[in-house]
Amino acid sequence: MATPFSAAGAYASISGMSAGNLMRRPAGNLGGSDAAGTDFAGLIGKALEATSDVGRKADAQTASVATGRADVVDVVTAVAESEAAIETLVAVRDRVIAAYEEIMRMPV
Amino acid sequence: MDLMKSIAVAASGLRSQSGRMRLISENIANADSGPERAGAEPYRRKIPTFQHRLDRNLDAQVVALGRVQRDQTAFKSKYEPGNPAADAAGNVQMPNVNTLVETMDMREAQRSYEANLNLISSTRRMIQRTIDILRA
Repeated sequence: MATPFSAAGAYASISGMSAGNLMRRPAGNLGGSDAAGTDFAGLIGKALEATSDVGRKADAQTASVATGRADVVDVVTAVAESEAAIETLVAVRDRVIAAYEEIMRMPV
Repeated sequence: MDLMKSIAVAASGLRSQSGRMRLISENIANADSGPERAGAEPYRRKIPTFQHRLDRNLDAQVVALGRVQRDQTAFKSKYEPGNPAADAAGNVQMPNVNTLVETMDMREAQRSYEANLNLISSTRRMIQRTIDILRA
């Protein structure tokens, strides 16, 4: 069910994600035809970086609760944020790969 | 993302309700803490206050525990002539803590905590369902 449109949507959302953490509003440049960093590898790399950043924050919170320095509530919010980021990344990746496979299957 | 903000705001609610719970437990634990010596005051009941606060990072109103107020109602008096803290008439001042009131406050804190927890789980469900659209 991968259409070119969904691939474009995935591109747009992943470029929004790579703009920073999830708390920030995604930058509204759709299409992905602007300056540097619009190639797929760059996008994935940036998104991965942002996601692993959120994950690291969640890990740090968990560790500081284990040593009794932080609140359980902070861990819950950090983990929820990293979970959402990772799941979005995974869903977008699956979507983009499905679109890619669809293109590869095209008879030339 | 607004949904993440609402989780953070609900987390501030959880934090302040747990602070309230701590004050209630202090009150209940000290319900029998009399004065150390004659003329001194016994434990005075603590009252939590809540304040809304603009979190600039989050751009949303969060709740925080404000200054802890002390209950100004009169102390209870107990006739106990043998107590070293008793006055000339043999009365000892006891804390102005009513365990029944504290129990009700505890229930209220519990309910507020649960409301915030429900908000967090509903928000997480909304995020989850939104991501699921990408998957289908």
